[in-house]
Amino acid sequence: MLARFCRFLPALLLISVLQADPQPNPAGHGPQSLKNLTLEQLSAIEVTSPSKEPTPAMRSPVAIFVITGDDIRRSGATTIPDALRLAPGVEVARIDGSKWSIGIRGFGTRLSRDVLVLIDGRTVYTPLFAGTYWEVQDTLLEDIDRIEVIRGPGGTIWGPNAVDGVINIITKNTKDTQGIFASAGGGNVEQGFANVRYGGDNGDGLTYRAYFKGFTRGPEHHSDGDNFDDWRGVQAGFRMDWTDQAHDEFTVSGDAYKQEDGEGVSLSTYVPPLTESLDGNAQLSGANALFRWKRTISDGNDIQIEAYYDRTNRHEPNLAEDRDTVDVDYVQRTKLSSRQELMYGAEGRLSDGRFSEVASGLVFFPIHRLDHLVSGFVEDDITLVNDKLLLTAGSKILDTNYTSVGFEPSVRLLWTPTNNQSLWASYTHALRTPSDSEEDFYLSSFLGVGGGLNEFARFSANKYFAPEQLNGYELGYRMLIAKNLYVDIASYYNHYHDLFSEDVVGPLLLETTLPFLVPVQPPLHILLPAQFRNDIHGYTKGVEVAPEWRPTNFWRLRGSYSFLHMNLEQSPAPGAIGLGTAGTTGSSPQHEGDVDSSFDIGKRLQLDLVYRYVSALPAVHAPAYSTGDARIAWRFTPLLEFSVAGQNLFQPFHIEYGADPGLPVAVARSVYATLAWRSK
Amino acid sequence: MATSLAPIALLVSCIWAQQPTEFEVEAAFLMNFARFVEWPASAFPDSNSPFTVCILGKDPFGRALDDLLAGQTVGQRNVAVRRLAEGPAHACQMVFFGGPKSATRAVLESLGPGVLTVGDGDTFLREGGMIAFVLDNRRVRFDINQALAEKNELKLSSRLLTVARSVQK
Repeated sequence: MLARFCRFLPALLLISVLQADPQPNPAGHGPQSLKNLTLEQLSAIEVTSPSKEPTPAMRSPVAIFVITGDDIRRSGATTIPDALRLAPGVEVARIDGSKWSIGIRGFGTRLSRDVLVLIDGRTVYTPLFAGTYWEVQDTLLEDIDRIEVIRGPGGTIWGPNAVDGVINIITKNTKDTQGIFASAGGGNVEQGFANVRYGGDNGDGLTYRAYFKGFTRGPEHHSDGDNFDDWRGVQAGFRMDWTDQAHDEFTVSGDAYKQEDGEGVSLSTYVPPLTESLDGNAQLSGANALFRWKRTISDGNDIQIEAYYDRTNRHEPNLAEDRDTVDVDYVQRTKLSSRQELMYGAEGRLSDGRFSEVASGLVFFPIHRLDHLVSGFVEDDITLVNDKLLLTAGSKILDTNYTSVGFEPSVRLLWTPTNNQSLWASYTHALRTPSDSEEDFYLSSFLGVGGGLNEFARFSANKYFAPEQLNGYELGYRMLIAKNLYVDIASYYNHYHDLFSEDVVGPLLLETTLPFLVPVQPPLHILLPAQFRNDIHGYTKGVEVAPEWRPTNFWRLRGSYSFLHMNLEQSPAPGAIGLGTAGTTGSSPQHEGDVDSSFDIGKRLQLDLVYRYVSALPAVHAPAYSTGDARIAWRFTPLLEFSVAGQNLFQPFHIEYGADPGLPVAVARSVYATLAWRSK
Repeated sequence: MATSLAPIALLVSCIWAQQPTEFEVEAAFLMNFARFVEWPASAFPDSNSPFTVCILGKDPFGRALDDLLAGQTVGQRNVAVRRLAEGPAHACQMVFFGGPKSATRAVLESLGPGVLTVGDGDTFLREGGMIAFVLDNRRVRFDINQALAEKNELKLSSRLLTVARSVQK
C-alpha cells in the first residue's frame, strides 16, 4: 500500500494542496514488497530488528566482533586491513600504499606477530617472521561473508600463535554467490579496479564460482615527493562446494595472485656502498589450494578434515624468499551427553622456506629451512546449569622444530542470568613460537666510520630464542538493553613474559669473518654485537566498549571505544644493555574510537558515515588524529548500483605510522566511484 | 491545518521507507512454503475448504501475515489465517508455533499427518518440528527436517530444499 502511494506522491501532494480532503494515513510497514520476492531473494534480505533470541555472540565466552560482508561493502574499504578498522580493540595504522601495522590489544607492527590470521581456515601466518604479510591477503570483497575478530587468546580451538587475537576471514558458500557480479571504478588514490565473478551450479548439490580481480593504487602522500609506494596486482580464484544434503559437505578452493608493490627500504652492506636507501618494486606472487570435508554424524557430532597447500614468492628490494607450506588438520565434535560436548583435533604443518640474499645486511642463515609444527587440542563444553551457566575448559598442545612441547590451557565461564544479558570470564595461557627471524636472522646496520674502520651494529641469530608467553585474564559483559539497543563490553589484563627484546650483548669488537656465507668476506671492521632476546616482561590492560543502536528501521548507529595501557620492562642479562621498551609501548594507541552511522533512504539509496579517532603513537612519529569516511550508493535497479566513497576526508593527509626510511608517509584523502552490476 | 500535515507525513514515510523486520520476511516465507509443499488430498475436509494457516501461541506477525495472504490462493483454494491460543481444534494445513513455550514435543506429536509445522530457533527441529527459522548474519534462513515432513505425507519441492540452510533427511 505504501509503495503504491509513494509512486503517486507528487500528484497526491498537488491534489492535497488544491483540495482540503484529508489523505488516508499509511499504516503498516510495507510487506507488500516482499510478496513478489522469490525464495532466494527472501533468503538474502538483511533484516533490521534483532529477534528475542539473543544474538549468537551472547552465548560466546570470547571477545568476538563480527564484521559482516555488508559492513565491509558499506564502509567503502577496498582492502581487508581497512575493513578491520570497524572492529574494537584492533589497531590499524597505514604505513604506506601497501603496508599496514595491525595489532590486537597492543603490539601492532607491520607483521602483526601476535595475531593469528586465517582465510577460510587456511593460516596465512608466515613462519619466516612469525607474522602476516597483509598486502597479499586478499579476495573478492563482495564474496566475503564475514570477518570474525576475536580479541584475546581466542581459546583452544584456534591454531598456534593466536596470542593477542584471531582474525578469521570467511568467504560465502558458493550457494550464496550465484550468477554474475561485476564492478569497476577508480579515483585519486584508488586509481583503478575491476572485479568479476561468475557463480553457477549443476542442479545436483554442486555449486561453484570463479573470480578475477585487478587493481592499481597510487602512492599515498609524500612531503618529499618520493612517491615510491604505488601498488598494482591481479588475483583469480575459484571455489566449489558439494553437499549430498545428508551427511557430507565438500569444499575445494584455490587462488593465485601476482603483485608489484613499491617499497622504500634502507640497506646496509659490509662492502661499499655500505648503506643506501632505495626505492624498488617488490614482486610478490603466490597461490594456494584447499580441500575440506565435513561429515555430520548426528546433531552435535561431526568430523572435519582440511588440507591446504600454499606457495608464497617474495622478491623485495632487500630480501627474497620462496616458501611452500602444506598443512592437514582434523577436528571432531562429540556430544557426550545433553550437557557435555567434547571437541578435539590435531594439526600438522610443514613449511619449506628458501631465502636468497639481496644485501649482506639482511641475511637468513642457513638459507634453507624446513619448519614443522604439530599441534593438538581438546576442549570440553559443559553446561552446568541449563541455558545459564556454561564452562569451557581445554588445552592446546604444541610442538615445533623451535620449541619443546608446550601447553596452552584455557578455561572460560559464561553466565546468562536472563535472556538479554550475559557475563563471561576466562583465563588462557598462550605462546608465540620463535621464528626464522629470531633463530636464523642477521640484521646489520652501518653506523659510520670509527678509527679508520667501518662500524656496524648487527642483531645476530639467537638459537636459544624462547617462545613468548602470555597469561591472559578477561571479563566481558553483553546486554540487549532494549529491542534496538545492544552493548558489548570486554576487559582484559594480559601478563607477558619472555617477550621479544633488542639487546646489545657485548662491547665493541673487531671482526674479520662474518658468521654467515658471503661471496667475498669483508675487510676488518668494528662490530657492535646485538641480539633479539626474551628480556621484556610486563602487562597490558584495557577495556573495549561497543554499543549498537537502531533508533529506527532505516538508521543504525554503531560505536566502539578501546582503551589500552601498556606497562613493559626490560631486564637484560648481566653484560647486556637493553634497547628499551619505548619503541613498543609508543607504537600502540592508548585510545581509539569510532562512530558509524548507516542510513537506508528509501529502497534505492544508502548513506554511511564513519568518524574515527586514534591517539598519538610517539615512537612512530604519528600524532593523534581524527578523520572520517563516507559512502553514498544509488541502486538504479535492484541489479545496478553506483556509489561514491571517500576515505580520510577531514585532512588532505595525515600520518598514521612512520616506519619507512626517510620522512613518514602520510595517508592521503581519497575519493573513488564504483559501478557494480549483478545478474541475480 | 490537520489536512495539510497528512501529505507531509506521507512524504516522510515515503522517503524513509523501512527495511523489513524478521517477522515480515518469515510471513513471506510462510506464503512461499504453502506454494512449494504438496499436501495430500486427505489433509483437507473437502475440495472447497480453504488452505488454513494456524498460529499457535503468541502471534509475532500481526497484520503482516494477513496483508501478504489477502486474496492469495493455494492450489485453487482460498487462504485463511486462524489464531489459536492452544491446541488446533479444526483442520490446519500449516501450523506456526509462536511464543517460547507453545512448541512442545507433545503438541507436535499430537498433530496428525498432512500438517506442516514451522517454528523459530535452533531447538524447534530437535523438539520434532519440520521447518525452523534461524537468523544467520541478519538474514532469515530456515532448516528443514525432510524425513519428518515426508513421514507426514508432505512432499517438499526440491527448490525449497536447495534454498534451505540445511536439510535433515
